[in-house]
Amino acid sequence: MAGETVADRIDAARAVLTPIQAATGLTFAAGIAFVLVFLQDPLAHDAMHNFRHAAGITCH
Amino acid sequence: MLYDYLRRGVQAGVIAGLAYGLFMAFVANPLSEYLHHAQHDHGHDHGHGHDHAHAVSETTTAIVSVGSGVLWAIFLGGVFAIALYFLEPALPGRGASSAFVLAGAGFLTVSATPWLVLPPAAPGAEQLYTVEIRLAIYVGLVALGAFVSVAAIGSYGRVASRHRALGLVAATVPIVATAVVLSTVAPTIVSHPELAGELVSAYQAMAALSQAAIWAILAASVSWLERREATSTAGVVGPNDRRSTSS
Repeated sequence: MAGETVADRIDAARAVLTPIQAATGLTFAAGIAFVLVFLQDPLAHDAMHNFRHAAGITCH
Repeated sequence: MLYDYLRRGVQAGVIAGLAYGLFMAFVANPLSEYLHHAQHDHGHDHGHGHDHAHAVSETTTAIVSVGSGVLWAIFLGGVFAIALYFLEPALPGRGASSAFVLAGAGFLTVSATPWLVLPPAAPGAEQLYTVEIRLAIYVGLVALGAFVSVAAIGSYGRVASRHRALGLVAATVPIVATAVVLSTVAPTIVSHPELAGELVSAYQAMAALSQAAIWAILAASVSWLERREATSTAGVVGPNDRRSTSS
């Protein structure tokens, strides 16, 4: 563990993840972030109304 | 190892999500509904914004808001754990303290820095700009928040090697400078013409403290899970060895 660098961690991640897996993970995370924070569709907006106000989410 | 980090992050997210879901159900939901109704009662003379018909019932809003709160904490937990995996070697402190440093950076990036310009809005707030403009400002401020976090950790690292307390002071400099500059320069984008100032402050404090609590629970849970797994794998090695030697 000691003496490990950020570059070592990136190399280790490259070794266990295929680009497809990394892309899938990023897409999934971006999807959740989009729905919770950015989606302005009236149905979604009204249903998440209290959450977005209470969490201080800006795009409301 | 990346998967272990992600799994602990999601588990920590579930722990924080249960706490935040309960908070949404018993504090934030009733308070938001109350503020919403309080303004409907004396806001009928001008038919704008919050007088529109609701697309869903209040019950749906309450349930979906609790679910969104749980999902939000799990999402932050996953992102936090992946970031911890990659950035751990560059963070100051060992073990749990590096997790808390990263959680602080996360809070600064996702919430605190954007709030300097776009503070948490209570229901019925009036906004100066459209959603699209605020969205662009928000994304820009998240980038600024990440930059400030990196600057704070960097200046701590440079100074702390000589003097630890001075390092802590050095780390606060970029944060305080950003807070002072942004809060004086930024225009007032969010206003609450129909709510008492104290009520708005209380609502904003509730938002700020609850988000900070999510990050603190995430950091504490991730390092707790890590310690627990380290001791349980150390315990599992014994019986496995015995089995392999006896057979």
